[in-house]
Amino acid sequence: MNNKIKSKKTTGFMKSNYIRAFLKKYKFNYLLGVISLIVVDIAQTRVPIIVGSVIDQIESKNFHMTLISSVIIKLVSISIAIYIGRIAWRFFIFGTGRSIEKDIRNDMFLHLEKMSSRYFQDNTPGEIMAYMTNDLEAVRMVLGPGILFLIDVLAMGTITLYSMIVQIDPLLTLAGVVPLLLIAVSVRIMGRENRKRFRNKQEAFAELSKFVQEQLTGIKVIKSFVQEEKTIDAFERNVKRTYEKNMHLIKIQSLMHPFMQFISGLALAVAIGYGGYITIKQRITLGDFTAFIQYLSMLVWPMVATGMTINIFASGAASLERVESILNEPVEIKDSENLSNIDTLLGSIEVKNLNYKYPNTENQVLKNINFKIEKGQTLGIIGRTGSGKTTLVTLLLRLFDVDKNTVFINGEDLLNIPLKLLRENIGYVPQDNFLFSDTIKNNIDFGVRKGEMDKIIEAAKDSVVHENIIDFKDGYETVVGERGVVLSGGQKQRISIARALIKNPEILILDDSVSAVDTDTEEKILKHLNEKRKGKTNIIIAHRISTIQNSDKIIVLDDGKIVESGTHKELVHKKGLYHSIYEKQLLEKMLEEQK
Amino acid sequence: MIKKNFKNNKKYGNTSYIRLLNYAKPHTMKFIFAILIILFIVVIELYQPVLIGDVVDKFLVHYGIAESNIDTNLNNSNIIGVVKIALVYFASVVAIFLLSYAQAIILSRTGQKIIYNIRMELFNHLIKLPINFFTNNPIGKLVTRVTNDTEALNEMYTSVIVNILKSIFVLLGIVITMITYNFKLSLLTFTVIPFIVIFTFTFEKISKKIHRQIRNKISSINAFISEHVSGMRIVQVFAVEKEIFDKFDNENENLRKEHMKQLFTFSIYNPTNFVLNITAVSILIWFGSKMVLEGTITVGTIVIFQRYISKFFEPIQELAEQLNIVQSAMAASERIFGILDEEPEIKEDSNSIELKSFKGKIEFKNVWFSYKENEWILKDVSFKVNPGENVAFVGATGAGKTTIQNLICRYYDIQKGEILIDDINIKDISLTSLRKNIGQMLQDVFLFSGNVKSNIRLLNENITDEEIIESSKYVNADNFISKLSEVYDTHVIENGAAFSAGQRQLISFARTLVFKPDILILDEATANIDTETEVLIQDALKKLMKGRTTLIVAHRLSTVQNSDKIIVMHKGEIREEGNHQELLSQKGIYYKLYKLQYEQAL
Repeated sequence: MNNKIKSKKTTGFMKSNYIRAFLKKYKFNYLLGVISLIVVDIAQTRVPIIVGSVIDQIESKNFHMTLISSVIIKLVSISIAIYIGRIAWRFFIFGTGRSIEKDIRNDMFLHLEKMSSRYFQDNTPGEIMAYMTNDLEAVRMVLGPGILFLIDVLAMGTITLYSMIVQIDPLLTLAGVVPLLLIAVSVRIMGRENRKRFRNKQEAFAELSKFVQEQLTGIKVIKSFVQEEKTIDAFERNVKRTYEKNMHLIKIQSLMHPFMQFISGLALAVAIGYGGYITIKQRITLGDFTAFIQYLSMLVWPMVATGMTINIFASGAASLERVESILNEPVEIKDSENLSNIDTLLGSIEVKNLNYKYPNTENQVLKNINFKIEKGQTLGIIGRTGSGKTTLVTLLLRLFDVDKNTVFINGEDLLNIPLKLLRENIGYVPQDNFLFSDTIKNNIDFGVRKGEMDKIIEAAKDSVVHENIIDFKDGYETVVGERGVVLSGGQKQRISIARALIKNPEILILDDSVSAVDTDTEEKILKHLNEKRKGKTNIIIAHRISTIQNSDKIIVLDDGKIVESGTHKELVHKKGLYHSIYEKQLLEKMLEEQK
Repeated sequence: MIKKNFKNNKKYGNTSYIRLLNYAKPHTMKFIFAILIILFIVVIELYQPVLIGDVVDKFLVHYGIAESNIDTNLNNSNIIGVVKIALVYFASVVAIFLLSYAQAIILSRTGQKIIYNIRMELFNHLIKLPINFFTNNPIGKLVTRVTNDTEALNEMYTSVIVNILKSIFVLLGIVITMITYNFKLSLLTFTVIPFIVIFTFTFEKISKKIHRQIRNKISSINAFISEHVSGMRIVQVFAVEKEIFDKFDNENENLRKEHMKQLFTFSIYNPTNFVLNITAVSILIWFGSKMVLEGTITVGTIVIFQRYISKFFEPIQELAEQLNIVQSAMAASERIFGILDEEPEIKEDSNSIELKSFKGKIEFKNVWFSYKENEWILKDVSFKVNPGENVAFVGATGAGKTTIQNLICRYYDIQKGEILIDDINIKDISLTSLRKNIGQMLQDVFLFSGNVKSNIRLLNENITDEEIIESSKYVNADNFISKLSEVYDTHVIENGAAFSAGQRQLISFARTLVFKPDILILDEATANIDTETEVLIQDALKKLMKGRTTLIVAHRLSTVQNSDKIIVMHKGEIREEGNHQELLSQKGIYYKLYKLQYEQAL
């Protein structure tokens, strides 16, 4: 992936249309920022001139204290102007950078919401997070500090140089400034080297973390093979490498500041020698001389900033590529062009000759699937792990797309049903019971978002989790997940069921959703489903026969194919796969009851 | 339970400082050396404005206003004087450059070495902690202790100790030099210092607070992204993209606001410093010019003072920053010391016995064990295994089979009863010789990143390649390894994700065999393994178990049937014991289990 980005790096930061639109949107902010910045820069250069001239006056001993007081008033008013100006440009330039950062982050998230499950399989949350934080920060650096430095360098540099050349002496300026140019060059070169070494250091550090992580995860192997001492030796090699990479980085980091000091000192030495000489030669006054020395120190910053600006723009451009790679990712699953003009969706489902392979894979996950269920019926699906049960239901939800004319809901081709309508009418309880770290209340109300407490409680009661919830100290306000209460698998499953039930959807899909619930509770949930879901369609995937034995229709999947189908009774009589699963589970139950 | 473990970090208070300083002790000379260099730098830096003042006062003062005719001789000697000063100034610049670089390197190297030692000590300690420490504490957090927290101490040694001293020197240096020039004018300019101090420290405090809030907001936005990217399927399935986006927008806006707060704070900071600077300069000019009129000072003094004024700010800022670093280093060090103070639960007897080998007799005598108080996992378990016998443990999950294996290797100490190997209580055998002579194979084979070879010999370099290949051949692992692209050097990624469960099993067999254990303990994998590999595994197992005392948690019928003895566990107790035929005829639990799990396979 790095290669791909590198080869495209030629497009500059400011050439991106995406960025240009933002610059256009915020052009007045930037303009005001630039104006206040230039005002500040000009005001700042006045200070040494004023101080210089007053020193000349004092030196000649030919002055009144009224002159001094007027100078002081001048200085104070300038400093007030600078005060206001500085706040203004920070607000207009840095503040705008932050606003754009927010806009871009929103754009990225909005786009991510449209991405298919395939995208999230290929891109880990870690990578996406890095794009939305680190890379976005690099882009923000250009839009805030980058632009500021650029203008500051131009404005401050020009003004200062102008004052030095016109008001003092062109040759002296040349003598003083030439060494300073070395700063810009060295910041650029050292900055690049610094980044390279920093990356190496980070890699060594990541390597160390990975090592510790792995060894601690495999601690049992280490202990059982008595490898402790050897592992410590291996750890030491890692620590040593981190140490070396760190020192390598430190060597250049510690060089930067002293080196810049050195160059500006060198410039100052030249100014003293040559400046003193022309003062004696009376080409400039003593006041000019002291002012020049001040100017010189004012030029150090623009020089540093020049190097920094180049670095900021360079890494900003690379990061922008990555940010745009998310924004330009095509939307795979979307409404079709010949969308059906419907606003309700009833729950009859028909699947015809459905074959399915996951994108970019060879393995046929579903083979020639055919079945039909009417509105109001319950379909049970059973089969081994990996037989294709979950794939089948995620296809109904259009998490992945099927071929045309294979799946029909309410008589409409699945692909022609408006995506929002489809998903609003399906209640889905996924296998992994993913809950968000929010309150239980909000988790149940996730798809409805009306905050109607009575509905929430009703759903919780139907999924037999209400009693558990009110046992928590904070009841429905209990926060789940890492920062709150850690729920048991069964509790999670039941909250997840409540989350689907509260939608009162036309189609309810339970994907192995009561596996961690004891049989009594399971029975209760199934009883509630039976009562509440009259006239609505249910699809229940299960491992336990007891979960699905009352379904109107049961299909048995094996290796992507429907191997048996019928009612519980019919299937038990067939003495096939279903029967053998049934027998096993009966025995298991007997064993449970032992003791 | 997790929380409890980390709350243990009591309040260390001042002892943390002392412990941290103790790590610096061996390097005292280097610190002293660095401080001396810094003193030297400070003196030179303070001398630099004097040089400029001298240029003005000694050589240029007469050229203030371009009118006087000064004779050429004087001009020439003045020029020589100016050039001399320029050269001296240049020399001072070079000296500062070299000295500050040397100083930085000396300190950094020392700091890094200290970190190196702390890391070693920490890992050394960590790896010796008992297994349950790792089950109770998230690995991620422990990794952070070894990596990030130690890194946070770095600045403590490389910058704090020295810079605090430096800043004080600089401040004192400036004050003293100014006073020697002119006492009255110095006192007048010093009136701004208290304001600088108050302002800087308040600013540091506020900005630290805002910084912390920003970190919080960023981590909450990161958590939001990470969570919703992982759960994007749910968001889409429930068609709440709009609502979730609004929430994200809200988080995002919160972060922006916090950034704006920071921005505002910073935008006040620099200009305020500038105003304070101008105030001091105004005071200087007002009173200075009066004094020049009175003839008590020269213009040069004003020029010098003006330069010193701008130097007040840096050391004061520096001090405020250093104090901040100290605070965060303290927090990190307390977390580190929390681990270092964790006691290894399993203690070895000082006169424990070293054994070269075992005959292989194992006996449990009325063993009671629980991980948590009063939740007995094993209840009064007794059994005896003779040297060379193969014993299979069967029973439902949670029956206590795996626990028995863990106890033999002494990952936990039992509460009641005795475990004997070759009639010696395992508490009297050194941990090293106990574990070295027992080969344990876990159900989930853990593979380290590296290559196939390194996963078999682990870190024992004295195991030769020939031995590795020989063992692999013996346990049928060579078959598939020899087909890999780089044979035994084939890269293994983290946790060996590229290998099938069966292949991992075979690698673990080779690993165990190459260490030549006298007793074998293994937990048969339940994972789906293709028939071809399955045959290889069965064959390898048979070879491995031959002539060795073997305790196996069995899931396969063939393994169970071929054992000398079968022990049926149920809810922490031994319920049935005997060989296959005996147990079947009892028609008890074994009989049912047998029907349940194995009948299908027949």
